[in-house]
Amino acid sequence: MRDVLIAGIGSTVFGRHAGTPIEQLGVKAAAQALLDSGIERERIGALYLGNFISGPLNGKEVLAGIVADQLGLPNIPCTKVEGACASGGIAFRHAWLAVASGQCDAALVVGVETMTHARTAETTAALNCAMDNESDGPSGLTFPGLFGLAWRIHAQRYGTTRSQVSAVVRKNKSNGLRNPLAQMGADLSDEQIASSAAICDPLQLYDCCPTSDGAAAVVLVAGALRGEVRGVPVEVLASVQTRGAARIAGHPDLCSFDATVAAAQRAYAMAGVSAADVDVVELHDCFSIAEIVDSEDLGLVPRGEGAIWAAEGRTAVDGEIAINPSGGLLAKGHPVGATGVGQLYEIVRQLRGDHPNQVANARIGMTHNLGGTGVACTVSLLRRGD
Amino acid sequence: MPAAENIATLPMLRCIRCGRVDTPTRSVCSGCLSDELEPVSVCGAGTLASWTTIRRAPTRFRDEAPYDVVVVDLDSGQRVTGRLAPDSPEPAIGQRVSAVKAAGADAVFMGQRS
Repeated sequence: MRDVLIAGIGSTVFGRHAGTPIEQLGVKAAAQALLDSGIERERIGALYLGNFISGPLNGKEVLAGIVADQLGLPNIPCTKVEGACASGGIAFRHAWLAVASGQCDAALVVGVETMTHARTAETTAALNCAMDNESDGPSGLTFPGLFGLAWRIHAQRYGTTRSQVSAVVRKNKSNGLRNPLAQMGADLSDEQIASSAAICDPLQLYDCCPTSDGAAAVVLVAGALRGEVRGVPVEVLASVQTRGAARIAGHPDLCSFDATVAAAQRAYAMAGVSAADVDVVELHDCFSIAEIVDSEDLGLVPRGEGAIWAAEGRTAVDGEIAINPSGGLLAKGHPVGATGVGQLYEIVRQLRGDHPNQVANARIGMTHNLGGTGVACTVSLLRRGD
Repeated sequence: MPAAENIATLPMLRCIRCGRVDTPTRSVCSGCLSDELEPVSVCGAGTLASWTTIRRAPTRFRDEAPYDVVVVDLDSGQRVTGRLAPDSPEPAIGQRVSAVKAAGADAVFMGQRS
């Protein structure tokens, strides 16, 4: 496999984009990434677009081709990929494969979703397509419910408290306040979090990410094109995709995602680095308890101590391992198909050293994107390339 | 626990080739990929792995909320999702539970009073 660099990045604000057609949102982010990269669009040899529910919520498909057409790209293969909340991370991995394997010298990745225009019932029904509805649907379980199951086990096994979990919410909402791309940063008290509406016990409203519109994009090039990259190049050390249990009852441990554990182990091996080498991570905190479980599954904190580390400030921007300095899904927002690409955008800015919540001397960064009930996962490791 | 004859049975599929008994929403055996599966019933007694109370429900279950969803490890070895009966005692991880009703993948469990 050849060395691959991230040459350019682009992103819209995550939040509400009422009236902007979904493809135009994707095109905006993609154009930014192309201009940022210094790579001529005629050099792009493949486009991978991550999106989950443009069909049910927008009545639109073949988005990859539509976006490429508006960008004036050549007659290249344009592919939409779907893996629920991991759609963006999977699109990135496929683009990386195309460049790393020599199929093309440059590839464009776009992640995009629009959700806020739809009625809640429509959005909920569309999102619920991400579970195995034959086996898990009849019980009436929901995605917050899945994480309620995990929280109960974490609390029983490790003594995790409401206040410790709230530390994750407070950290990410506070980080979001300083990220101009974030949908809902806030300065929250424990009391405000603990008195917010009950969703699925023990999860309350502030434990859950919002629904969002947004798009992000990344330009990848072969290492040989390093001289043509306009800014600080970022090396892709590893990009891994794994499958986990498709049924909720299929998880051997409801307080861990086997897809995440496997993806992290393979990514560390591929990159030749360990968890201790990672300076900053954007991980899949669709719910507060998810950040705790993910940080343990990724090996960033000891098993069972995710909540304690958050409560002690060890995962803050200036902590031992900075987790979700962007605000994460909880505060930055979760335009489902864009999320994984948005995480890469955030880490590249950290490694370039120009993030609004900059982690001091960040050299190695990680992204973690999890889809469905843990059925699809991507983990990527990036390194500042100069 | 209720007497065994009062515990509802849960529908499963048994592989005629390798004998594995697994949850019913499948067309081939998860062990050997054979498509020769026969319906069997297993005893609905087991242990509570975890539970959550759904207060914001999907549209089709809205009238039933709030309701408790449980994950149960059956004594027969399968892990299943289901509901907790509304009159069940306060749940706890590790609590003994038994099925009081079962239809397809939709099972209702009752916890044992301690």
